[in-house]
Amino acid sequence: MSDALLEVTGLSVDIPTEAGVLHAVRDVSLSVRRGETLCVVGESGCGKSLTSLAIMGLLPPTAQRRAQRIVLAGEDLQAAPARRLRALRGDRMAMVFQDPMTCLNPAWTIGNQLEEIFTRHGKGNRRAAHDRAVALLERVGIANAAGRLSQYPHQLSGGLRQRVMIAMALMCSPDLVLADEPTTALDATIQLGILQLLAELQAEMHMGLMLVTHDLGVVARIADRVAVMYAGEVVEEGPARTVFTTPRHPYTRGLIDCIPQPDRMAPGQRLGTIPGMVPSLVGDVQGCAFRTRCAFARPECAATVAPRHGPDAHMWRCVLPPETLDRAA
Amino acid sequence: MSAAPLLELRDVRRRYSVGSGLFAPRRTLTAVAGVSLTLGAGEALGLVGESGCGKSTLARLVLGLEAPSEGEVLVAGRPIAALHRLERSRLVQPVFQDPYSSLNPRRSIAEIVGQPLAVHGIGTPAERRDQVEEMLGLVGLAPRHAEALPAQLSGGQRQRVAIARALVLRPALVVCDEPTSALDVSVQAQILNLLLDLRDRLNLSYLFISHNLAVVQMLAGRVAVMYLGRVVEEGAARQVLTEPTHPYTRALLASVLTPDPTLGLPAMRLGTTFPDPLNIPPGCAFNPRCPFAFDRCQVEPPALVPREGGTLAACHLAAEAPTAAM
Repeated sequence: MSDALLEVTGLSVDIPTEAGVLHAVRDVSLSVRRGETLCVVGESGCGKSLTSLAIMGLLPPTAQRRAQRIVLAGEDLQAAPARRLRALRGDRMAMVFQDPMTCLNPAWTIGNQLEEIFTRHGKGNRRAAHDRAVALLERVGIANAAGRLSQYPHQLSGGLRQRVMIAMALMCSPDLVLADEPTTALDATIQLGILQLLAELQAEMHMGLMLVTHDLGVVARIADRVAVMYAGEVVEEGPARTVFTTPRHPYTRGLIDCIPQPDRMAPGQRLGTIPGMVPSLVGDVQGCAFRTRCAFARPECAATVAPRHGPDAHMWRCVLPPETLDRAA
Repeated sequence: MSAAPLLELRDVRRRYSVGSGLFAPRRTLTAVAGVSLTLGAGEALGLVGESGCGKSTLARLVLGLEAPSEGEVLVAGRPIAALHRLERSRLVQPVFQDPYSSLNPRRSIAEIVGQPLAVHGIGTPAERRDQVEEMLGLVGLAPRHAEALPAQLSGGQRQRVAIARALVLRPALVVCDEPTSALDVSVQAQILNLLLDLRDRLNLSYLFISHNLAVVQMLAGRVAVMYLGRVVEEGAARQVLTEPTHPYTRALLASVLTPDPTLGLPAMRLGTTFPDPLNIPPGCAFNPRCPFAFDRCQVEPPALVPREGGTLAACHLAAEAPTAAM
C-alpha cells in the first residue's frame, strides 16, 4: 500500500563517548500509515527510544542523526528548519513519554499546559483552548474535567497523569502520535485502560500510532505491524499476526517465550530466557549482533546478514532456514 | 495442634494519620483494614492488587519495619514485635522493587552481600568471603562481579545482588515486593526462574507481592487478592486463576496481556474511578468500579467466606450467583 504517513529510511544515531562512537541506532527503516499502529519492541538499550526521539528531532545535542529519508505526510523533516519543526511538533506529530511524573511541569496547572499547546500553534483563542481541553479530558476518561484543569500534576495519580499526557498529545489532532512506553510505569489494570483508550482514539481520529514498548504481550494485542529491535537494528518486521505465529528471528522467539502465560504453564514451570547481555555498540559492529546470545549461531553469522523477505511484507535478518523456529502447534 | 505456621497475620490493621494541607484537619488513611493470612514453611503466598491496595504496607508489617495499629504479626509462632532486630532479620528478609535505589552505590557487591554476615558476627572475614562467593554463584553472578560497584551492573544483575544479600543469612521467609516490576520482560523471566530455583535448593518460603497476576502464578501456590486494605479473594493459585469468584480478581486476570495476536485488547469495565485509601467507599469497597454492584453492595461490607472449590471470597454476588459471566 502507498501513502505512508511517516517514512523513515536508513536512520542511524551515533553518540560520541570517551570509549569511541556508540552506534545506538543502525540503519533503521520504518513506516507508519494513517490509522495504523506500529509497535517497536526490544529490551532496554536497543535504541527504540532514541529512534522515536530522532524522528521527533529531540535528540540530545551530542547525538548525530543521519538518514536517507525522514518524511512526515510528504514533508522532509531533515530539510525542515528549526522553526518549521517547532511548528510541526505538538501539531502534526506529538509524543507521549514514559514517565508522566516528570514530563508535566509541576509549577503549572494541567489546564495551562493543555491550553498552551493549542494557542501556541494558533488553533484558536484561550476560550477555544479551554473547551478543547475539557472535551479531551472527558474523552480520556477523567471525571470532573473542568475542575481538574486548575489542578497541579502532583494532585493526580499516575494513571490520571498519563491520561493528561495523552490528552495533551491530542490537543491539535496530530497525524502521528509517538508513544514511548506509555504504560510501563502503571498497574496492569490501568495499563489496559490506557491501551484501550489509545486504540479507540486512534481509530476515531485516524491517526498513525507508533508505540514503543518492551512488552510483547502489549504488542500482540494492539499492533497492526511490529518492528523488533536489537542492538540498534530492526531484526524482524511484519504484520503482528505473522510475526507472532511464525517468528523468523531467534531473538523474537526468545522475547515471546519470556512472557508468563497463566493459562499455558504448569506450576513451577520455568520461563524461556535469553542468556547473556546486550553487546556493546561502541566501535564497529560486524555481522549479526545477536549471535553471542543465540542458540543457533553459526560461522556465517559473523558476516553481514542481508534482510530476508517472506510473504505479507515480513522481513527478518537471520541466516537460519525459515522453518527452524517453527513449532508444532 | 501442629507446629505454628511460619507466618501468621491475625486481623492486622494499619492506619496512618495524614495531613492534607496546612490548615486542613488531619485525616486517617487505612492502608490495611483487617487482614488475616497464614503461610507455612516452604510455601509461597502471592499477594496481588493495584497501587494503593496496602500490599506494600503489609510487606513492611511482616518485615517488622512498622508495627500494626491493631492485630498481630507472628513469625514462627512469636510476635514479630517481641523479636530482637537481629533475630528478626535472620528469619525474614526483603527483596525490594527498585534495584537501583536499594543498593548502597558506594559499596562493592562483595561488601553489600557480606554486610549482613558482618553485622551478625558470623564467621571470620575469610569465611565470610567464601560465603559471599558461594552466594554470588547461587544467584548466577560471576566472581569478577564481587569487586564491582552497583552502578557497573545492569538492572537484572543488581536484583540478583539484592537477592544474594537477602539470602546470605539463610532466612526462612523472603518478602519479595514487586521484585521484577522495574525490569525488562526478558530479565524478569531470568529473575523469576532464579527465585524458583532458589526455593527448591534452599527450601525458602516466599511472600511474593505483585500487581501482575501472571507473575504471581509463576511462583505462588496460594494467592491472596487485596483491594483497599482487605483481602477480597484467597485460595490455591490454580483455583483462583482458573475459576475466579470475585469480579475484581476477574478484572485483574483480564488485564494480563498474553502474547496472542488473535485476541486483541480485552474489554474491561472497571471504569476510571481510582481506588483512594483516604476515601474508602462504604459497603463493599469495590462497589463503585464493579459492573455487577447492586443495592446491598453499597451498604453492607461482604465477609470473606469459603466458596466451592476451597477458596475464600468477599462478594455478595458470589454468595448468590456463583458464576455470573464477565
